[in-house]
Amino acid sequence: MMMTKDHIGGLVFLCLSVLYGYYAGNIQMLPGDEFEPFTARTVPHTLAILGGILSIALLLTAKRSAGSRLNLKGYDFALVAKLLVLIVGFGLALEWTGFMLATLLFLIVGFWLLGERRIKMLLMVSVPFAVGIWFVLAKLLDIYLAPGQLYMQLFGG
Amino acid sequence: MLDGIFTGLSTAIMPFNLMMVVVGCFAGTFIGMLPGLGPISAVALMIPITYGLDPSSGIILMAGVYYGAVFGGSTSSILINAPGCASTVVTAFDGYPLAQKNQAGKALALAAYSSFTGGTIGALALLFAAPALAKVSLSFQSTDYFALMVLGLTAVAAFSGKGQVIKALIMTVFGLMIATVGTDTTSGATRFTFGSLDLIDGISFLLLAMATFALTEVVMTVLKGEHREEEEQVDMSKLGSMKLSKEEIKEVAPTIARSSVFGFLVGVLPGAGATIASFLAYGLERNLASVKEKLKFGKGALRGLAAPESANNAASTGSFVPLLTLGIPGSGTTAIMLGALIAYGIQPGPRLFLDNPDVFWSVIISMYFGNLVLLILNLPLIPYISKLLLIPRPILIPMILFFSITGVYLVSFNTFDIHMMVVITVIAIFLKLLQFPMAPMLLGYILGGLMETNLSRALVISDGSLAFLWERPLTLAIISIALIVLVVPPALELLRNRKNARGPEVAVNEGEG
Repeated sequence: MMMTKDHIGGLVFLCLSVLYGYYAGNIQMLPGDEFEPFTARTVPHTLAILGGILSIALLLTAKRSAGSRLNLKGYDFALVAKLLVLIVGFGLALEWTGFMLATLLFLIVGFWLLGERRIKMLLMVSVPFAVGIWFVLAKLLDIYLAPGQLYMQLFGG
Repeated sequence: MLDGIFTGLSTAIMPFNLMMVVVGCFAGTFIGMLPGLGPISAVALMIPITYGLDPSSGIILMAGVYYGAVFGGSTSSILINAPGCASTVVTAFDGYPLAQKNQAGKALALAAYSSFTGGTIGALALLFAAPALAKVSLSFQSTDYFALMVLGLTAVAAFSGKGQVIKALIMTVFGLMIATVGTDTTSGATRFTFGSLDLIDGISFLLLAMATFALTEVVMTVLKGEHREEEEQVDMSKLGSMKLSKEEIKEVAPTIARSSVFGFLVGVLPGAGATIASFLAYGLERNLASVKEKLKFGKGALRGLAAPESANNAASTGSFVPLLTLGIPGSGTTAIMLGALIAYGIQPGPRLFLDNPDVFWSVIISMYFGNLVLLILNLPLIPYISKLLLIPRPILIPMILFFSITGVYLVSFNTFDIHMMVVITVIAIFLKLLQFPMAPMLLGYILGGLMETNLSRALVISDGSLAFLWERPLTLAIISIALIVLVVPPALELLRNRKNARGPEVAVNEGEG
């Protein structure tokens, strides 16, 4: 049998609905809830059933042409993965290096990953941008931006 | 009604709100111009900024961004044949050929005049339609609200396009499932948090909107390698005159009028939105044209450009009718605005124009100002704004990513949200590759909480009986419409698929015979 995008999507959502329905059964109930017409489980159970029915409907009506197969050729997954890792890294850097340095690092690495190799250009764009954004947020809008644990450990809080 | 109009006018003409309209239009035009980023992404990027503003100013800014982005999308369609959003794809059919004939200036001017007229007619219609519909819907009870939400969700799925109905319905259910994560407001029970304290408040609307629209859209351009494509240089010397002759105005005036009214009516339908309006208006205009004129379509016909431009702006305005009066968004973009209103503690719906007349009327009035801003300020500045298209993608993309992430971080100051955004983006990319639409998911998420509250209220009142669905004629009527909308398109699709599946066999048999 040919696996098309619809088949994959249908199977994924069918699994999701089953798992969702299973965990819906674990939702804590209040004493006496079993006599109530509506509890915290009512909507999740209904959604699990609806999700299951719709997933099966998608599987039954799935397109079967060769053109509807999932074709991953030509996509740059490696670059996207690097960018997503960069975003996670930015989140970690925010805690350690503080907002300004994390922004600077994020932009420089981001520009570099996307193909900008001129060091002058990397610095000329990222430094004023990072400083400018920090100034607007911290000084003009008076938003407290934590200095970062590294800074705290080196220079004290 | 006059009182309301004056309230709206006095709020909308406050210098700060006027500035919001101008800023919104400019920001929207710029973001809308970037290929791949449409009004939904543009409005999503604005949410964190609006959190610091009062509701009227926030919604005015978002509305400004909305029609600015639609206008910006037209500009990139005309100048570089790269529509910024789906609703301006049709604009490129005749806009780009005009630009190739060195008449880009004329095309841009016509797009601006058409958008202005479409937006103005839309705003006037909204001025009368919204309060009338709101008055009717004042008698609604919780059962009717529940039915309306079901209708809104099913309508969005029904309008999602050929072969997409079931996928859109699945995404709606997925959105409703996401809405159940966190603490249940009625019982206080925690659901699907898996012991994580960060999930106790659920997944925030801002995080979901930014991850599925702003972040995912940008990452998709990288995934497809579009960031490597060099934009064609916009040659300002070849823009040509921005003036239209009297004959040309005479030719396009009826088209603009027709398409504006048509676009508004399509926009009012929940889920239809600007994209469908622009395609239908183009098709309508082509069908109305004489055989000789028909041949011009696709080669730089002025009517072919004016029709979708008037229709998409009128539809953008029209999609505010169900949002402001029933609390049901007419498009993905208005779904984000609905989420923003709820975040402000404002419940859009029939009571909005009674409880928050300043928000209700100032949005309507500011729409008109927004159209004026687009015509008076944006049009003359287009040659300069379009220079922003020349910023290299390797510089622009990390900056947009940065704004998407920090927009969420600066509201919660919790880095868990950044990591959660990455997870949601990965899921969204996977779903996009499988061609699942994102807007129904967001709508399901936004309406999920309200739907559960109204259902619980209705069930408790009727002592657990589902009879409330057919005992009240109004509820029954709305549910019936929802059922028709829900059942008819998949049934037709099933029949079509069966026919197609049988088709090749017949062909083979015939061939063999």
